Amino acid sequence: MSFLLDQVRTLLDRAISEMSDQRLVDARRRVDEPLRVAIAGKVKAGKSTLLNALVGEELAPTDAGECTRIVTWYADGRTYAVTAYLTDGSAEPRPFTRRDGAIQISLGRPAEQVEHLEVRVPSSRLRQHTLIDTPGIASLSTDVSLRTMAFLEAEGERAAQTDAVIYLLRHMHGSDVRFLESFHGDGLSSGTPVNAVGVLSRADEIGGCRLDAMASAGRVAARYATDERLRKLCPVVVPVAGLLGAAGATLREEEYRTLAAIAAEPMEHVVDLLLTADRFAASGTHRAAVLKRLGLFGVRLSIRLIREKTVTDSAALAKALTEHSGIDRLREVFTAQFVGRSEVLKARSALAVLDECIPPGSALAGEAERIRASAHEFVELRLLHQLRSGRLPGTDEQLAEMDLLLGGAGGAAHHRLGLPADAARGRIAAGAQEALIRWQNIAEHPFSPRELKTAARAVARSCEGILVS
Amino acid sequence: MKVRAGRLTTGVLAELADARALAEAAQRADLVQRLDQAAGRLRSDDATVAVVGEFKQGKSTLVNALLRTDICPVDSDIVTAVPTILRHGRPPAAFLQVPQDDGGLASVPVGFEELPRHIAEGDKNGVRAVEVRLDRRLLAAGLSIIDTPGVGGLDSAQGNLTLGALGLAGAALFVTDSAQELTAPEVEFLRRALERCPRAFCVLTKTDLYGEWRRIVEINEGHFQRAGLDVPIVAVSSFLRMRAQARDDTALNEESGFPRLVELLRRDVLGAAAENKIVAARAELQFVVAQLRERVEAEHAVAAEPAAAPEVVRRYAEKSRRSAWLAGGSWQTVLGDGVQDLSADIEHDLRERLRIMVRKGEDLLAESDPRETWRDFQAWAQREAAAAAVDNLMLLVTRTEQLAHDVAERFGIEYDSLDVDLPAPELALRKVDELDVSFQKSGMQQFLGAFTAARVTYGGFYMLGAVGAFFSLAFAAPLGLLAGMTLGRRMIKSERERQVQQRRLQAKQELRRYVDDVGFHVGRDCREAIRRTQRFLRDEFAARAQAAERSAAATAAAVREIADLPPDERKERADALAEQRRRLNRLAA
Repeated sequence: MSFLLDQVRTLLDRAISEMSDQRLVDARRRVDEPLRVAIAGKVKAGKSTLLNALVGEELAPTDAGECTRIVTWYADGRTYAVTAYLTDGSAEPRPFTRRDGAIQISLGRPAEQVEHLEVRVPSSRLRQHTLIDTPGIASLSTDVSLRTMAFLEAEGERAAQTDAVIYLLRHMHGSDVRFLESFHGDGLSSGTPVNAVGVLSRADEIGGCRLDAMASAGRVAARYATDERLRKLCPVVVPVAGLLGAAGATLREEEYRTLAAIAAEPMEHVVDLLLTADRFAASGTHRAAVLKRLGLFGVRLSIRLIREKTVTDSAALAKALTEHSGIDRLREVFTAQFVGRSEVLKARSALAVLDECIPPGSALAGEAERIRASAHEFVELRLLHQLRSGRLPGTDEQLAEMDLLLGGAGGAAHHRLGLPADAARGRIAAGAQEALIRWQNIAEHPFSPRELKTAARAVARSCEGILVS
Repeated sequence: MKVRAGRLTTGVLAELADARALAEAAQRADLVQRLDQAAGRLRSDDATVAVVGEFKQGKSTLVNALLRTDICPVDSDIVTAVPTILRHGRPPAAFLQVPQDDGGLASVPVGFEELPRHIAEGDKNGVRAVEVRLDRRLLAAGLSIIDTPGVGGLDSAQGNLTLGALGLAGAALFVTDSAQELTAPEVEFLRRALERCPRAFCVLTKTDLYGEWRRIVEINEGHFQRAGLDVPIVAVSSFLRMRAQARDDTALNEESGFPRLVELLRRDVLGAAAENKIVAARAELQFVVAQLRERVEAEHAVAAEPAAAPEVVRRYAEKSRRSAWLAGGSWQTVLGDGVQDLSADIEHDLRERLRIMVRKGEDLLAESDPRETWRDFQAWAQREAAAAAVDNLMLLVTRTEQLAHDVAERFGIEYDSLDVDLPAPELALRKVDELDVSFQKSGMQQFLGAFTAARVTYGGFYMLGAVGAFFSLAFAAPLGLLAGMTLGRRMIKSERERQVQQRRLQAKQELRRYVDDVGFHVGRDCREAIRRTQRFLRDEFAARAQAAERSAAATAAAVREIADLPPDERKERADALAEQRRRLNRLAA
C-alpha cells in the first residue's frame, strides 16, 4: 500500500524542487500527517458532542445555544497545547483553561482574525486521524439541494483542506427542500460518495427520549439509506446518540453512584422523578450535573439498566451507554471507510493540490496522471465514486456486489466478499475465486456495456488482489 | 377579556334588539333585516387557530394534548400529510374533504379508525383536508383548530400554502421544540405569518425532555427582539398534560404549562375575535340608528312647530330624490374603475412572479442534469409556485381592502352631502346639523361593518393543494447496451452531453407547462374572488343608498302626516316621539 504514497512523495519532492510553491510544501507535509476528517452539518446538529464521543474526552465546549464559531482542529500531540492560525498567515500559541474538561481558549483578538485553531491533545484515538470541528452551516434559504446535487456532477477531486467528512443529519423529512442542506460544502470540506459518512445525530431525542428511541432512530436511518439522493452523497447513515457516547467514554464513579442511589429508591418515586428533565434537575445539583452530561434519555436508560441489575458498576454502565450510543458502529464504519483507505485518500488530496499548482501538459502532470491511472487503489476509488453517483450501468445486484468488491464497505478481504470477520482462509479464497470468474465473464461478455466492461475488469483485478494476499 | 367581551356581546345584542323594535315600529323591514344579519354575525362566535411549525416539532401532539384527545396520529417517523381541522360538534364525527370536478370540496363521512391512515397518506388518495368534530369546551367556545402538515418543512410548497391559509385564521400557534433555538427559516416564516394573521404565539414544546428549555426561551426571545417581532412564548409539555389527564392531577396539568396556553387562546384569540365582531355590529347599529333618527327628529321638530311642515316636507322630498341618485352615484364609478385596476394589477403581479420563477428555474436546470435533480427540482418549483400564488393572494387581499375603503369614503362624501345645501327651517336644520356632526365622527367605518365581518367573501378560497402536480418525466435511460458497443470514447462523451441537453430541454418544457397550469388556476381563482368582492360591495352600498332614500321618503311622509293631525293627537304623538328619541339617543351614544 505505502508504495502508492511513496510515489506521491517522490512526485511532490520533485515538484517542490522545480517550483517551490508553498502549497506544495504544505501538501508534502500533509502526506505524512494523520488523515484529516471534518465533522460537518447544520447548526446545533451535535458536532462538538460527537467529536467528544469519538475522542472519548470532553474536549470541545458544548452548550444549549450555538457554540462552535471557529474551525477547530483536534490533533494528537505530546501535551495539551493550543495554536491560533491567523488570517494573515501567522500562527501564535494561545493560553487556555479547562472547565469540566472542556477547553476554553482565550483568543485575545476578534474571532474574524482567526483562520482556525489547533488543539493538541495526547490521545491515541487521534493518532490515525485529526478531527476538525466546524461551525454549523447556517440555513440557507434557497436551492441548496439542487446545488448539492449539482456538485456531484463535478469529478469530485477538487483540492480540499480535509481528506474525509462526517456529515451530521438531524431527523428531517425526505421531501424537505433543505434535506440535503447538511451536505452543502462550506469550502473547507467537500465530501464525495467515497469519503463521506452520514450520521443521524441526536438519535436519543427521536420519539421523545423514550427507551425505544434508538430503535426508532435505526428505522429512520434505514429509510434514509433507501433514499437514492442520499445514497449518492454518502454510502452509509449511522444513528448515533453523541451525548450517550461522550458520557459512556468519560463516566465518573460519582456519577454512577448518583444514578445508583436514584435507582434504589421506590419505583413510584423514580417514575415521578424521571417524568421531566426539570423535576430531575431540581432534585439536586449532582443530579442536574448528571442530566446535563447524559441527557434525559441517558439518565432513563442508566436507571433502568441499574434497576434491572444489567449493570452493577460504573465500568459496566459506561460500556452499556457506549453500546447504546451507536458510536462503536460509527467507529467501525469510520475505520472501514476512512482509516483503511487513508493512504489513498491522502494521495488523492495531494494529487488534487498538484493539479492546482503544476501547469497541465508538463512532465509532472503526466507523472501525476500515470499514478492515478496505474495505482489500483485509485481505480477502485474512482469506480466507487462513479458507481455511487449512479453513473455505471448494470443491474442493482451487480452494482451492489461491485460496491463490496471494490472495498466500499471496507478494504479487508472479508469485507469485500461480504463474509464474517472470522471466515476461514479457504472460504475467502473460494469466494474470491468465484467472484473473479463471474466478473471476468462480465468483462468479456459481448453484450456488456463498455463502461461496465471497464469496471468489471477492475473488479476482477480486485478479486485477484484478494487471492494474492 | 373574554369575560368582558362576553358581557359586551350581550350588551350589543340587547341594543340590536332594541333598535330592531324601533325599526319594526317604523315599518322599516329593510333595516330590520340589516339588524338581524348583524346579530347573526355577532352570535356566530368563531375563531380559527392554525398550528404551524417545522417537521417533528410536536404539532399534532400539541393539538392532542390541548384537546385531550388522540385524534391526530403521532409517530416518531411518520408525519401529518393533510391539514386536520378540529371544530365543535356533538356527537363526534369525522369527514374527508375531497375535491369535486367543479373545483369545490365535498365532505365525505369517515370512521375514526380510518383517520390515521388518511392523515398520514392524504394527498395520495386525493384527500385535501380532514375535518373532525369533537365535543370539547374549548371548541364549544367557538375555537376551531387546524393542525397543519409538517411534510416538506416550512420552506416548501406546503409551508407556503399554510401561510396562505393563515390569512383566514384568527391566530397562529407557531410550534418549535426545546431541543434548539429558532432557526433562520423559522423566524422568517413567523415574520411572514404575522403579515397575514393578526396574532401569533410561539409555543415551545417538549419542555419535559430538555432541562435547558428556559435558556432556549431566553435565546428565542432575543431572536424575536432582533427581528422586531412581538410574539409571546409559551412553554408547554404535551406529555405532562396527557399524564395529568390520565391521573386527573391538577398540579401536574399546571406544570405542563397548558393552562396558560388555554388562557391565551380564550383571552387573546376568542376575545379579540369577539371584539372585532362587536365593532362591526356597532357600526351597523350606528347606521340603522341614524336612519331611524332622521325621521323621529324631523317629526319631533314639526310637532313643536307645525307651521314649518311644508318646508320640511320639501326638504325631505328633495333629499329623497337625491338619494335615488345615490344608488347610481359616483361611488359606482370608483368601484368599477377600482375593480378594473385591481384585476389588471393582480394579473400582472402573478404573471411577473411566474415569469421570474421560470427564469430562475431555467438557470437552475442549466446548471445540472435533470435526471439527477428532477425530484428536488419539482419540490423547488412547487415551492416557488406556491409562494407566488400566496403572495399574489396577499396582494389581492390588501388591495381589496383598499378598494373597499375608497368606495366607502366616496359613498360617505356623497351621503353626507345629500342635504348640505338644502334650504331648511332653522329649527330643524339645527337639529339635523347636530345629528350630522355626531354622525361624521364614526366616519366611513360605519359603512365597512358588514365588510369586515365578510372578509371570507374575498379570501374565501382555500388554496390547499392548488399548486397542482408535475408530470413525472420519463428521461431517457443512461447510455446503454447499443451505444456502448458501437460508439467510440469521444463519441460517447458527446453523445452523453447531447443527452443531458435533451433532458434539460424536456425539463424546461415541463416547467413551462407547469407554470402555465398554475397561472391558469390561480388566475381563475383570483378573478372569481374579485368578482365576488365587486358584487358584494355593489350590493352592499346600493342597499345602503336605498335605505337612505326610504328614510328620506318616510320622513317626508311622516312629517306631512303629523302636520295634519289635530293638536291634541299631535301632542300625544310628540310624547311618543320624545320616548323614541330618548331610546335612539341612548343607542347612538
